[in-house]
Amino acid sequence: MSGFRHGAGRLGDAQLNFTFDGKPMLARAGDTVASALLANGVEVVGRSFKYHRPRGVTSSGPEEAGALVTIGAGGKADPNARATMEPVTQGLEVFSQNCFPSPKFDLMSVNGLAGAILPGSLFSAGFYYKTFMWPAALWYKFYEPSIRAAAGMGVPPKVADPDIYDRIQMFCDVAVVGGGSAGLSAALSASQSGLRVVIFDEHNDLGGQLLNEANSDQNADLEQWRKDTIAALEAADNVTVLARAVCWGRFDGNMLAAHQSVDGKVRQNYIKVQAKKIIIAAGAIERPLVFGNNDKPNVMLASAARRMLNHYGTATGKMLAVFTNNDSAYQTAFDYSDAGIKVSAVVDSRQYPSEALVDGCMSRGITLHTQAVVTEAKGWQAVRSIEIADLAANGQSVSNRRRVACDVLAHSGGWTPQVQMAAHGGKPPIYDKTIAAFVVGDQAPDTYSVGAAEGENGLLAGVAQALEAAKAACAELGGTAGAVTAPPQDRDGATNIVPLWSVPAKGKQLVDIQHDVTAADVVQSHSEGFVSVEHLKRYTTLGMANDQGRTSNVNALAIMAECRGVSIAEAGTTRFRAPIAPVSMGGFAGREIGKHFKPVRRTPMQEWHEKAGAVFVQAGMYMRPQYYPQAGETIDDAYERETEHVRKKVGICDVTSLGKIEIVGPDAAEFLDRVYINMFSTLKVGKARYGVMLREDGIVYDDGTTSRFAEDRFFMTTTTAKAGPVMAYLERCLEIDWPELKVRVSSVSERWGAMAVAGPDARATLTAAFPSVDFSNEAFPFMGVVHAEHNGAKLVILRISFSGEMAYEVYATSEHATDIWQTVVDAGQAYDIVPYGLETLGALRIEKGHVTGAELDGRVTLGDVHMDGMASKKKWFVGKNLKQREGMVHPDRPQLVGLKSVDPRTPISTGSILVTEANATAGADKQGWVSSMTYSPELGSFIALGFLRGGKDRIGERIYAAYPVKGKNVEVEVVSNHFVDPTNDRVKG
Amino acid sequence: MIRINCPYCGEREHSEFTYGEDATRTTPDNDAPMEEWNKFVYERDNPAGEHIEYWHHAFGCRAWLKVQRNTITHDISWVGLPHENPEAAS
Ligand SMILES: [Zn+2]
Repeated sequence: MSGFRHGAGRLGDAQLNFTFDGKPMLARAGDTVASALLANGVEVVGRSFKYHRPRGVTSSGPEEAGALVTIGAGGKADPNARATMEPVTQGLEVFSQNCFPSPKFDLMSVNGLAGAILPGSLFSAGFYYKTFMWPAALWYKFYEPSIRAAAGMGVPPKVADPDIYDRIQMFCDVAVVGGGSAGLSAALSASQSGLRVVIFDEHNDLGGQLLNEANSDQNADLEQWRKDTIAALEAADNVTVLARAVCWGRFDGNMLAAHQSVDGKVRQNYIKVQAKKIIIAAGAIERPLVFGNNDKPNVMLASAARRMLNHYGTATGKMLAVFTNNDSAYQTAFDYSDAGIKVSAVVDSRQYPSEALVDGCMSRGITLHTQAVVTEAKGWQAVRSIEIADLAANGQSVSNRRRVACDVLAHSGGWTPQVQMAAHGGKPPIYDKTIAAFVVGDQAPDTYSVGAAEGENGLLAGVAQALEAAKAACAELGGTAGAVTAPPQDRDGATNIVPLWSVPAKGKQLVDIQHDVTAADVVQSHSEGFVSVEHLKRYTTLGMANDQGRTSNVNALAIMAECRGVSIAEAGTTRFRAPIAPVSMGGFAGREIGKHFKPVRRTPMQEWHEKAGAVFVQAGMYMRPQYYPQAGETIDDAYERETEHVRKKVGICDVTSLGKIEIVGPDAAEFLDRVYINMFSTLKVGKARYGVMLREDGIVYDDGTTSRFAEDRFFMTTTTAKAGPVMAYLERCLEIDWPELKVRVSSVSERWGAMAVAGPDARATLTAAFPSVDFSNEAFPFMGVVHAEHNGAKLVILRISFSGEMAYEVYATSEHATDIWQTVVDAGQAYDIVPYGLETLGALRIEKGHVTGAELDGRVTLGDVHMDGMASKKKWFVGKNLKQREGMVHPDRPQLVGLKSVDPRTPISTGSILVTEANATAGADKQGWVSSMTYSPELGSFIALGFLRGGKDRIGERIYAAYPVKGKNVEVEVVSNHFVDPTNDRVKG
Repeated sequence: MIRINCPYCGEREHSEFTYGEDATRTTPDNDAPMEEWNKFVYERDNPAGEHIEYWHHAFGCRAWLKVQRNTITHDISWVGLPHENPEAAS
């Protein structure tokens, strides 16, 4: 217990109730979880990642690396939330993480002991790569589960997230990232030009570091300026103020990506902003100092301790000590002292702080230790005292160690400008010695970084930069930025920092607090050869935590630079990448989840299928009937019955999903001759022909049937899967390759519903259905095409067969397709017509040996599927040149074969490999694979299609279809792929 | 996000488009030797900088467009029809 409520800060009066690990607590409107926990005296909030060391609140912002909690329970649980960024709401449930049974007493903290006893072994730098290398088998059984248990973070919920997330697309002229004094000024000035302005800030309250200032009478005018500026922005019609919106990435074309937390029905918005100009006023983040036990609860950044007191009305302790290497932290000591809280010491590593600071300490009775450092924070759970010592002039050693009492230690190692958003523009940041941090060098196009984000910490100076940027940005867009009132007070930005990268003393000195990376790990990484900052990052996982290196990067690479004996500028910084803050996956998914993940396409006959009790399967985006079970039937019963019925009588199948393309123009026939391997210019009007397309590399692309409706008009069908790609390909050919051809192509896939009517009674059925059409063999032979009308529906009837039976495909205008389907079904009653689904469609075509996408998988040649004879020798076509390459025509290529189970009741799994050994093991000679399988009622056996090395000449051989993962080994006979009616008589009947 | 100024539709986000292919290649004659076809199909330059390529406005007007894109910055400096060229347009 050290923190407590002290004053009002800027919070509202309303009291809120929340719980921490089930324990009831009080908060005030405007509190974050961090400020409320501190106000309730909570010091240990959780346990660290690897060593299970106790952790508390370390900051007041997005850089929080200690107080990571789970917010909410059940499906709403949000693990690894930064307590400093989560507002308390009434009834909020907050849980500690990574501790068992409680944060104060944690069994796993023995990891820390092991690290101390066996330095450099468990969990030290590179532990992922070293400790768990061998034997590999132990990884899954032992190492991974143990690491997960020991080095866990928050636990993701196991149930679906019930919350709603939205995606928003915005456009603006000027985007301002950061709502501190500079960002607010830039946004207001730019808005007065009339241009569209968007301003983001990740906090609930805008104002940036103005919120660190005491809400006192003395600062009343400054606070009023903040409020007035925000109010003016909110009142402007051309400004969008996005609070609680973290801008986490900048992408091509000046696109900014942000996640915004919102209260209400939607939990978060994922916002994409397309900006013409970007002003980056993201501010700076205070860095920690690196000393012994600097991760102990109640060691926190000086600016955070100050904001807790001044903004949240929460004193972080009853006795404060300050440790700094620069001027800025003194104000924390002064504010605490002025608020009546004891300040036991200011420890400054510099020899000569300015007179003003020394006077400030003296007048308040604060003991100032100069040329001194904190060597260690002490206390069982949280800080109860510190050990300080004098620092040698060369900075390499300490002496005169002594104790100072305190229950909170506020420290400052300087300020790191937030250059990420500017660096995403492509320019690497450069090192600025004056502030001992990296700043933006060259600005990326259309970008202006200003204020503390550019290393300018002075209040008025930062605002002046911001107004310059607004003026320049507006001018380039043809606007005039307005004059805005400057803040009524100034704050000096000079920190007079003298870098102190680590304290020369023993003890666990954390560099990356969340990932438990110590200064010793950085040194070890160097001694093991991982000296580049990018290697250091990956070897130690430094900077990969929630804060993305905000607090750790500069310290770590400064230590590495020291090890290497090079300057920090030379050591450089790691590349900044999006996202710079943790963002929820829900935002990316938006509303496109579950059944809304992708659109569902339905055929016109969907309702009919539903009423008929069809079981549906998704084929691409289409919902297609898989089978129509009768009472008590399994899927196998159903498709075997349907298949047998089609072969004996007649069936009807919805084939609407086929791609349909109309090809029109005087050069249409010439066009088809170029894209198909076979000739279409010789096709007579009123006839259909099966066609195959190749890619330029000679591999089979797609197949389908194309009919000639008139001299200059063709109707192409494609496979379901290739409907889109083939259409885009034909358009490309016409616009890029052969603009001289007078041809137009139009997708008419949605225009026509389609049904296959197949079986020996197909002709009789259709004759009864459409009496005006002559279905006789003479009038309507195999591969014939007939146009007809029926009750207002336009019909195109093709006599083609995928099943091998006498069959027709009936195309009907979509709005009439269900009526036509019903007409056929009614007429077919006399012949016991049954509807059949995708399973039966597959069974029939496998029996017949026809190929589909399972066979035409982008790897097969014409020869592989025995179609080389179809390729015209009289003309050129796409793929002709390269299909003749040596490897494409090699006799040992896997070729399409039929496979029949030697034991007819043993299925042959799709995906099996074909081998000659009875019990194939790893390393067996793999001679092919199984692409499709079915049970064939006609043959009374399981059969399959597959590809077998040199398969054309291996008919009659007995081999094995092996599926080692499932321990299957099926003896099969190699047969022709035409299982049923190889002479093709039935289709012509 | 790359934005492409379609001559028919105006400026649209690149998610409306599909990348097609390198537009700097010349298709060999139909009876060109196999080596030439092989080179045409398989060999591509991978320039760092300006590149001319085809894009398909698949979720817009469905036109195939020629686009000049900087492969380093992704800046689109010119958009035209397939038979046009940046030099001719400027
Ligand atoms: Zn367009």
